[in-house]
Amino acid sequence: MSNLENNEKILKIFSNIRCLNRDQLPRYLDGRLTDVEKHLVEQHLVDCDLCFDALQVLQQQQHREKYLPMSAGMLQFIRNSIKKVSHIHKAERYHRQEQKRESFLIYFWGVATILIIAGGVYLVQQQSKYKATAMPRQLAQADGATVHSASTETIPVQAAVVTPVPPARHDSAVAQPKTEAAPPVTVPAAQKPAPKKDSLKAAPAKPAALVTKDSMKQPPAAKPVEPKIAPAAPVQKDTPAAITKPAPKTEVAAKKDADDEKEKPAPKPATTDINSTDEFLYKAAMVYHQQGDLNEAISRYKHLSGSPGRYGELSRYQLAVCYRSKGQTGKARRMFKEVVRMNGTMKEKAQQALDNL
Amino acid sequence: MLQQLTNLSDKELISRARKLKDQEAEGVLMERYSHLIVAVCLPYLNNGPGTAPEELYPTLLQRLSSSLKTQTISRTNEWIHYTIRAQQAKTDRNIPYFPTTESREQQLVEGQVEKAASNLKEQELLINKMQKALKELPAEDKYFLQKFYMEQRTFADLAEAKKISIEKARQRLQQAKQKMASLLMNETYE
Repeated sequence: MSNLENNEKILKIFSNIRCLNRDQLPRYLDGRLTDVEKHLVEQHLVDCDLCFDALQVLQQQQHREKYLPMSAGMLQFIRNSIKKVSHIHKAERYHRQEQKRESFLIYFWGVATILIIAGGVYLVQQQSKYKATAMPRQLAQADGATVHSASTETIPVQAAVVTPVPPARHDSAVAQPKTEAAPPVTVPAAQKPAPKKDSLKAAPAKPAALVTKDSMKQPPAAKPVEPKIAPAAPVQKDTPAAITKPAPKTEVAAKKDADDEKEKPAPKPATTDINSTDEFLYKAAMVYHQQGDLNEAISRYKHLSGSPGRYGELSRYQLAVCYRSKGQTGKARRMFKEVVRMNGTMKEKAQQALDNL
Repeated sequence: MLQQLTNLSDKELISRARKLKDQEAEGVLMERYSHLIVAVCLPYLNNGPGTAPEELYPTLLQRLSSSLKTQTISRTNEWIHYTIRAQQAKTDRNIPYFPTTESREQQLVEGQVEKAASNLKEQELLINKMQKALKELPAEDKYFLQKFYMEQRTFADLAEAKKISIEKARQRLQQAKQKMASLLMNETYE
């Protein structure tokens, strides 16, 4: 047992012990320490020069007297300096914290205001967009309401007015003759009485302007008709009813035209260029014809009638149709006769038209 | 705050004073050693120009404070003692404090003992090693160490038995301890 204790005691040689504290120092000097405490102090004193020196100094009475007040003064001095420092430190820390808090608040409110402004702007934009989209709708609704209430007929009329123009230009060669053939049949039916009544009254000056070389050769069988009737033709053409009614009647003619058009390009491949330009011009004239611009159509047909090909014949025939629809039956008859004389594909139709006149 | 700081060890206070520039920690450290500083400086007071207590102590504290920030301090008491001696010597050249080889050896052995305190097996090994080193020491040193540490004799007893002064007895003990520490350290290196 004693051996074990000794063994453990050997460790004391290298055990670290703290310096003498403020209380132990005078007690050691006075010999007021317990044996264990004294031994611990002495163990520390073996290593610590500072404590040993202090004890050596304090063993002298003269220094001992000075020690207590000076030690107290030193302690006070250090504490005061710490307090001052700590006070300044605390104040600084508080100040820094306050600054941090303030800056944080500033940032926070800055961000908040920016967000609010951005949100406001966004909302306003959204609202304006909504208004912009809503307004046309409302207007459209309002218009729709008025239109519906006013008359249901206006809508088909509008549709009819708008639609015919583009399809006429893009129509294939097969489709066009159908529409083109429409006026010849309808116009005479509607305006047959007109030439009879007005032909006598009609001024002889007008035909002079419109008369061509051909018309000069042939004496006018009938006097030209008044231009009053002309506007009537386009109206009839534009209305869907007018187009649908004559369709079955003109089917035969249209088919013939289509057949002719199919047949022609095959034997004449060399003259395709002339034909293509003629065809184009013919179609352009047809468009004017369909739109009701008879004068323009007539001038174009006249221009084409000189061409030697098939389109010359076709354009003469159409010229005759135009004259007829204008009421200038004399000119119409003359043109039909010319077509018959040309002995082309349109001979029969021209003969029929002549018979009908 | 001050209360919390007084419970900290010297090392912790020094590291706080350095890393956090905590002047309170520095103050607490100075306060801990102030009575010893006062006592050690007493014989040098009023000995010449600049040695008045109102002058000497603040300058000493200032010196310690500036030294604290730059120097490696392994033992606070040694560092303070060194600084006081340096000031009293009034050397123009300020040689920084650096622990001696002996001091470092002692510290290492102290560290080993402290580490072994929680491990019985390690403790046993260390005891064996120390006993071996003790046997290797000269008879005089062995005697002082055994009497002082094992038999818990006081300085006065030892001085009386050997008929030497207390100061001398302490010195002999210190030397014996130093020898043992170097023996232990050399043994571990081998």
